[in-house]
Amino acid sequence: MTTRIDASAAAPGIAIGPVWRYPRRPTPEGTAERGRESARRRALHAELTGAEAVDAVTAAAHEAADQLTALADRIYDAGRADDAGIFDAQAMMATDTAILDEAIRLIRTGMDPVEAVAESATAAAEMLAAVDDELISARAADIRDVGARIGRILRGEQLDLPEQPSVAVADDLPPSVIAEIPTGLLLGVALAGGSRTSHAVILSRGLGIPCVVGATGLLQAIDAATDAVVDGAPTPIAIAVDGQRGEILLEPSDDDIVVFQRRGDALAERTHRAVALRDRPGATADGERVALLANIGTPDDAPRALEARAEGVGLFRTEFLYMKRQTPPTEHEQMLAYRRVMTAFGPDRPVVIRLADIGGDKGIPYLGLPADANPFLGVRAIRLAYRSHDLLRTQLRAIWQAGALAKVTPHIMAPMVATVADVKLLQRLRDEARDDVRSKKLPCAKKMVTGIMVEIPSAAILAAELALLIDFFSIGTNDLTQYLMAADRGKPMLSSLQDALHPSVLRTIAGVVHGADSAGIPVAVCGELAGDPAGALVLVGLGVDELSADAGSLDGIRSALAAVTRAELDDLSTRALASVDAESVRTLVAPYLARLTD
Amino acid sequence: MKSIDVEIRNPSGLHARPAVLFARQALGFKSKVTVQNLANGKPPVDAKSLIAVLGAGLLKGTIVRVVAAGEDEAQAIGDLKAAIESGLGEPLG
Repeated sequence: MTTRIDASAAAPGIAIGPVWRYPRRPTPEGTAERGRESARRRALHAELTGAEAVDAVTAAAHEAADQLTALADRIYDAGRADDAGIFDAQAMMATDTAILDEAIRLIRTGMDPVEAVAESATAAAEMLAAVDDELISARAADIRDVGARIGRILRGEQLDLPEQPSVAVADDLPPSVIAEIPTGLLLGVALAGGSRTSHAVILSRGLGIPCVVGATGLLQAIDAATDAVVDGAPTPIAIAVDGQRGEILLEPSDDDIVVFQRRGDALAERTHRAVALRDRPGATADGERVALLANIGTPDDAPRALEARAEGVGLFRTEFLYMKRQTPPTEHEQMLAYRRVMTAFGPDRPVVIRLADIGGDKGIPYLGLPADANPFLGVRAIRLAYRSHDLLRTQLRAIWQAGALAKVTPHIMAPMVATVADVKLLQRLRDEARDDVRSKKLPCAKKMVTGIMVEIPSAAILAAELALLIDFFSIGTNDLTQYLMAADRGKPMLSSLQDALHPSVLRTIAGVVHGADSAGIPVAVCGELAGDPAGALVLVGLGVDELSADAGSLDGIRSALAAVTRAELDDLSTRALASVDAESVRTLVAPYLARLTD
Repeated sequence: MKSIDVEIRNPSGLHARPAVLFARQALGFKSKVTVQNLANGKPPVDAKSLIAVLGAGLLKGTIVRVVAAGEDEAQAIGDLKAAIESGLGEPLG
């Protein structure tokens, strides 16, 4: 009987095959055998005196380190350098004093070597899990993985691996288990637990196989289905996984399998076509150009954006320079970051730097601001300059210099603009910063293209007046939707009010485009809606000139635009504006998106 | 014994990759090397232990004290300081 289980999408793709359960399901015989094995082991180790036990553990730890280094090398040779780094770190952990010395200490108090390793690994993992930084605390899983490996070596156990191409199912799959499975034998990964930042997800993406997480009840359902097989030898249960929709089917019917196979074929075809389109700039089917740029959060995102053929950076978020530190970033440090990205994109692909969107909410101690009760309505970004010009002027000085050194014209945009006064303050700070730089005879760009983010309703309403004062608009649809619908972005219960395709938002955007057109300035959109193919079509239909989205979305929106003509987009946008809810708008767009799967 | 204070400038602090480089470099010296997070008041930890270095929570902006004691202490301090300042293999800006 087919069982459907919902999960969260973590890596795209389709997998259909037998379940490989990790760890193997405990059976009464298995448990009894393990009990006997434990007793045998304890008897064996009781013969190992302290020094021999210490030697055994030390040898096992070094063996583990060698295995992990070999694993890292194999993955590196397969062209996946980042994934290989996971196992380099694990190799170091295997002989780390925190695990090995502690295990040895426990052995000397009389503990069994296998138990000693398990205890020291658990203690070290718990220590890391308590660190208040996600990147570091997530490494606790690596320590547990390494501890398990040393334990297996001590017990002389082999890792149980699938013998046929299978879909791995587990609560959370240790990274080294995934990496040990020969590539052709791993079709996909389905985790009952796990999170989107688990190594399992990262490795799946690197391997190009589907992965879903958070599949509550998956293991129980599989065990129940296995129980139901009345055949003597346990038959693997068939499973179908859709990594994009987060869908799992246990024991799919023949019809289900056909549907999943079709999805898999369509995905492969779309990927192939999208990659082929990358060499052409963004345009509609009848050749109307739409500039497609990337949003980046740090300079490290630049290579992915370049690879996805972004025509520039429409949103370079600069908050990373200001967060998680005790003092503000120096002018020099900032200049290096901006210059690096400007240089990577060159003079023909503009990089729009968004001035720091920081304030009382993000816990930045050196601002000396009390936490805002309503951060989205609070003292942040340009409003910091109501009190002190220092921070923004330093940022602007760094940008003037970076442009000169990278030999490009710098582009900036200010977030949280609500009034004409905000724009005049921005211009004044920008020009004062330029004068500061020149007076010190430092390299200085000749001009700075200056735009504003339109996200506050007041700015949208004043679009015609503001358009006369600056060089471009970039609409931040995420916050614009939040403010227009008065619904907190962070509340799942309000998700029906968070769709930026709501006609209230679209009509507001139409007004912004009208105001921009009256002054002849371009309009870009850098919110999430730009990266949504449905959103991309409607926005271009409304007259938006430029879309900026996460690098991973560019292929999708490029393909969507290439399948429609200007006439169709005009018709679509007229009808979308006349709608009264987001669902109707999505229904209007659906037929155009369906062209991509034909 | 030699000691130096350095600021961590990596955008995501000393997470796995730069921490691996730091500990690996420390392992290359005969001296005993410790590193201490001056911001959280905890005691110094073994710089040759990747796990201890990760556990010290060395985020961006943290000032750390690196102490080396042994026959190559001067070189150890010099090399480790330079390594931290240049970003431990990560671009800083």
